[in-house]
Amino acid sequence: MNINATLLGQTLAFVIFVAICWKYVWPPIIAIMEEREKRIADGLEAAKKADDSLEEAQLAFDQEMNKAKAEAAEILEKANSRASQIVNDATEKAEVEAEKILSSASKTIENDVNKAKEELRQKMSELIIDTSEKILGDEISPEKHQELLKKAAAEL
Amino acid sequence: MASASGEQTSAEYIQHHLTNLVCGKTPDGWTCDHNAVDQMGFLAFHVDSLGWSIFLGLVFVGLFRLGIPKLSTEAPSGIQNFVEMCIEFVNDNVQSIFTSAKNNLIGPMALTVLVWVFLMNLMDLVPVDYLPTLAGQVAEATGMVEDSKDSYFKVVPTTDPNITLGMALAVFVLIIFYSIKIKGLKGFLAELTLHPFGKWMMPVNLVLEGVNLIAKPISLGLRLFGNLYAGEMIFILIALMLTFSSISIGLLGVGLHLIWALFHILILALQAFIFMVLTIVYLAMAHETEDH
Repeated sequence: MNINATLLGQTLAFVIFVAICWKYVWPPIIAIMEEREKRIADGLEAAKKADDSLEEAQLAFDQEMNKAKAEAAEILEKANSRASQIVNDATEKAEVEAEKILSSASKTIENDVNKAKEELRQKMSELIIDTSEKILGDEISPEKHQELLKKAAAEL
Repeated sequence: MASASGEQTSAEYIQHHLTNLVCGKTPDGWTCDHNAVDQMGFLAFHVDSLGWSIFLGLVFVGLFRLGIPKLSTEAPSGIQNFVEMCIEFVNDNVQSIFTSAKNNLIGPMALTVLVWVFLMNLMDLVPVDYLPTLAGQVAEATGMVEDSKDSYFKVVPTTDPNITLGMALAVFVLIIFYSIKIKGLKGFLAELTLHPFGKWMMPVNLVLEGVNLIAKPISLGLRLFGNLYAGEMIFILIALMLTFSSISIGLLGVGLHLIWALFHILILALQAFIFMVLTIVYLAMAHETEDH
C-alpha cells in the first residue's frame, strides 16, 4: 500500500470527469426531464380542465333537456285539450244539427199528414154529398151544400 | 515474483495479484521496470489502476452522453431510460440531503461518483486471473517483459488506496472550498476553533475539530478501499483453490466463487452508494451556516 502520484492523478481525473458531467452530461438530461415533467403537468391540467368543461356541458345539456321535456309535455297537454275540445264542439254541433234535422223532418211529416188528412176529408165529404145528392135526388142549395160539407169534414 | 522454476507458491500467487504495474521516476530516469520500484519516490504512477479508472470514467461519459443518439422528450427508450433513472435517483438523494442550500455542482458530482465508483467496483466481478493473464501475454509478446509472470496488472481501481483517497482528496478540497465560500474564512476558522468548548479552549477545539475534518476524507477513501480490497482478496483466495490439482477442491472453489460474486454484487453497489451519499452529506455540512 504505497501512496504515490497515482493519488494526484486520480484527483485530477476526478475533477475532469466531474467537470465533464457538470458541463455536458447533467444539464441536457435534466432539462429534458424537466421539460417532460412540465408537459405531463400541463397535460394533466388540460385534462382536468376538459373534465370540468365536460361536466359543465353535461349540466347545461341536462338543463336544456329538462326544459325541452317540460315544453314538450306542455305542448302535448295543450294539443290534447284542444283536440278534446274540438271533438266536444263537433259532437255538440252534430247533436244540435241532428235534433234540428229530426224536428224539421217530423214537422214536415206532420204537415204532410195533416194536409193529406184535410184533403182526404174534403174528398170524402164531396163524395158523400155527391152520393147523397144522387140518392136523394134533390138539389141541395149551395149554402146547405157548403154547410153539410163542413159538418161532414168536422165529423170525419 | 516468479520463482526460478516457474512454479508459483500460494504466497507468490497472492502477492502477484496484489502488485500494481508501476511506472515512475528513478534516479536513472522514468521506467516501468518492476525491479526498479524500490528506487521510485513519490513520483510514480500505478498505470493499471489509473488506466482502468480513466477508461471506466470514459465509459461513464460515453454511456451517459454519447450512448444516447437523440434525447427524447416524448418517450425515452433504451439507454435514456437507464440514464434518467440514475439521474433521478441521484437527484432525489441530493435534494433530500441538501434541503436549504442550493449548489448545481453537487448533482453532477454525485452522479459521477456513483456511476464511476460502481463501474470501478464492478471490475471486481471479472475473474481475477483473466485480465492480468491477458496483460502478461501482451507484455511478453511485445517484449516488455521476458516472462509473462514478471508482468504485474491489478485491475480493480478501487482496491488501490491511491484511487479512493485521490477521490476523497478532491471531495476534501471541495469541502474546504465551499466552507470558506459559504461561511467566509472567518466563519470557517470560527467553526474550527470556537466549538465545542468556547473560545478559552481554542487549542483543544482546534484539535477536536481538526481531527473531525481530516477524518472525513480519510474514512471516505479508506472505507471504499477496505471493502473492495477485502472482497478482492477473497476472490483471489477462492481462485487459489482452482490452482490445486484436485477436482473436488476446484469444484468447491467454483461454487464459492459463484456465491461470493453474487453476494459481492450487493457490496459493490452499496459501497458506490455510500461513497456518493457521504460525499453529498459532507458537502451539505460544508454549506450549513449554524450559529454557534
